Amino acid sequence: MPIKESTKLKRLIKAIWIFNWFNSCGFIELIPVVASRWDMERFGMIIVGSPRHADVLFIAGYQTLKSIKRARQVYEQMAAPRVVIALGSCTMTGGMYWDSYNTIKKLSDYIPVNMYIPGCPPRPEAVFEACAKIFQHVEEMD
Amino acid sequence: MAAKEALEILGKISSEFKIKGEVRRKGRIWLDTPTEGFVDFCRWLKEQGFEHLSAISAIDWPGEGMYELAYHLWSYLDKTLITLKVKIDRQNAVMKSVTEIWDGSAEAHEREIHELFGIKFEGNNNLTPLFLEDWEGLPPFRKDFNWREYVGEKYYDRDNERERVYYD
Amino acid sequence: MSARSTMTEIMNASASTTISQSQPVAEDGGYDLYFGPAHPGSGNFGVKLKVAGEVVTSARADPGYLHRGFEKLMEYRMPIQNSVLSDRICVLEALNWNLVHAEAVEEMMEIEPPERAKYIRVIMAELSRIQSHIIWFGAFCIGTGFETGFKLAFGYRDYILDLFEMITGGRVYPAGYICPGGVRRDFPDGATQKIAQVLDRIRRMLRVEEMENPGLVGRAKGVGILKLQDAIKLGATGPVLRASGLKADVRKDDPYEVYETFDFEVPTREEGDAYARYLVGIEEIRQSAKIIQQALRQLPEGEVIAPKFKRIKLVTKIPEGDVYVRNEVARGEAGMYMVSDGGDKPYRVKIRGPSFLHMIPVLEHLLTGAQIADVPAIYWSLNVCPADLDR
Repeated sequence: MPIKESTKLKRLIKAIWIFNWFNSCGFIELIPVVASRWDMERFGMIIVGSPRHADVLFIAGYQTLKSIKRARQVYEQMAAPRVVIALGSCTMTGGMYWDSYNTIKKLSDYIPVNMYIPGCPPRPEAVFEACAKIFQHVEEMD
Repeated sequence: MAAKEALEILGKISSEFKIKGEVRRKGRIWLDTPTEGFVDFCRWLKEQGFEHLSAISAIDWPGEGMYELAYHLWSYLDKTLITLKVKIDRQNAVMKSVTEIWDGSAEAHEREIHELFGIKFEGNNNLTPLFLEDWEGLPPFRKDFNWREYVGEKYYDRDNERERVYYD
Repeated sequence: MSARSTMTEIMNASASTTISQSQPVAEDGGYDLYFGPAHPGSGNFGVKLKVAGEVVTSARADPGYLHRGFEKLMEYRMPIQNSVLSDRICVLEALNWNLVHAEAVEEMMEIEPPERAKYIRVIMAELSRIQSHIIWFGAFCIGTGFETGFKLAFGYRDYILDLFEMITGGRVYPAGYICPGGVRRDFPDGATQKIAQVLDRIRRMLRVEEMENPGLVGRAKGVGILKLQDAIKLGATGPVLRASGLKADVRKDDPYEVYETFDFEVPTREEGDAYARYLVGIEEIRQSAKIIQQALRQLPEGEVIAPKFKRIKLVTKIPEGDVYVRNEVARGEAGMYMVSDGGDKPYRVKIRGPSFLHMIPVLEHLLTGAQIADVPAIYWSLNVCPADLDR
């Protein structure tokens, strides 16, 4: 009997492993999430170096034409089930650089996004709230 | 040699090279230089102590049909900044390179200006693209390339009511 | 393959086959190695290395992952809007770049900010410099394998970010706090006491016995030596130049704001290796703390913004002309060249960042001939910010 998608998710997404794609301004508030004040290792989240080990990809800010190609390759190398979280307002509407010729305006045209966190840049507590919502959403799946 | 004041340096330049300039405030000299003999003038300036090439900037004046280049040089001993402003033609934008004088720092600046404005520098063999990958089109920083129109057509959706605000 | 009985047989068998197959094939290099593009602590930047065995034979920088075209974005916006955009030139030292832009507009319009505003600007700029050097220390520790130093550094940095939030409203981006004409609002009550407390904690962090680790010292000493002649020729500025022997600092040579009234030293070292750059950075934190203390003592009373900018008028014309402003941001010498043709938006803004020359000529020069294991230590000892390069 095939295993349901929600069961797979419930077994695998209990402690999130994040891939280290640190890019542009939004990442500056991801570093305190790793460091000692808002320690994320107490929730079981660690940063890994290879996309094949990761569950979650944080796209933290604007992407240029050159770096969106690499981000798409990273996304395709991750194994399912995988979650993409987009941080910052540049991923939703273009943000501060809406009239620049080299940045992309809507991330969902290139990579399917599961969750958006608004802010410029969003606070570290917002990142934890997003992860808690993911856990809750997976729990409530039938 | 002892540190010299800005007025003294300006006096020396105008007596040797007959170039007019002005001292705007303490430690700032601005000169309008011709393109002939530019490289020899720069070599003379480097021997006088202007060892640090801070930046090379390019300005686009389409109404007057020219590009203007500004070279900013700093001397660690005299603590003055000289800015040399040179005008070149816009249709046929070619300039002699200064990489033989300030090799190392001038090459990277000229590479950037070549990519973003389209100005060629004779004598610099390394004018490869620096920031953009597979860019065909006008050099992006020229005044005839309107970014808001370009972005409106390429990225935003004409039929979407909420995105139409980015057009007007 | 049939099963082998002992471990030594397996190791010997695999070693003999692999060694004969793994000779470097080409005369000139061996193989290509791409170092990047995601670096923790600095952002996206790649370096293409050609490696023969363990030694790097050539390196080429590959920038452009963060290029937004800042200089032309500023042409579409008025100075009051540009002061919010100017924080984002380099995210790790936002208030210093705010100050560069504000000084450029003031010099073009020939406006002088009041005395109290100048002292407040110096305090905020020095706090931003301390915070940026702490990031440098943390990233250098990751690069050399000392993870405890990274957690310690970023723990202490949060005290400064709380202070920024209290004074300007934002932890990382102060939303144009330092604007042309002065600063947006005055210090709230209790800010000066809180600054003194935070400086006490930072001084406790700097006790070198806690931070020096034999692994860090062993990996950084004698690595990436930059001689003084090469440093001046390739255009290095800031701590990188001071660690090679030249005592050059824009705050002393070409003073701006009220830096000539303070008594501080400019640390220099002779060796020019990665360890010397690290020590210069640590000593600069101490000197910045000294400047802030003197500024707090000398802080005068009065207005914080020039009368012309007190009520925000959307349209202010910038007179014709051009100006070049030099400042010392945490990474080196920053320059901004602004040209105006009489309208209300600048005609051309050219931004000269310190990391532009640190990453393209200096990095390529230092990586040639180095071992692969030393590449992270050299890269992070130069204190690079890719956003500054690509703008």
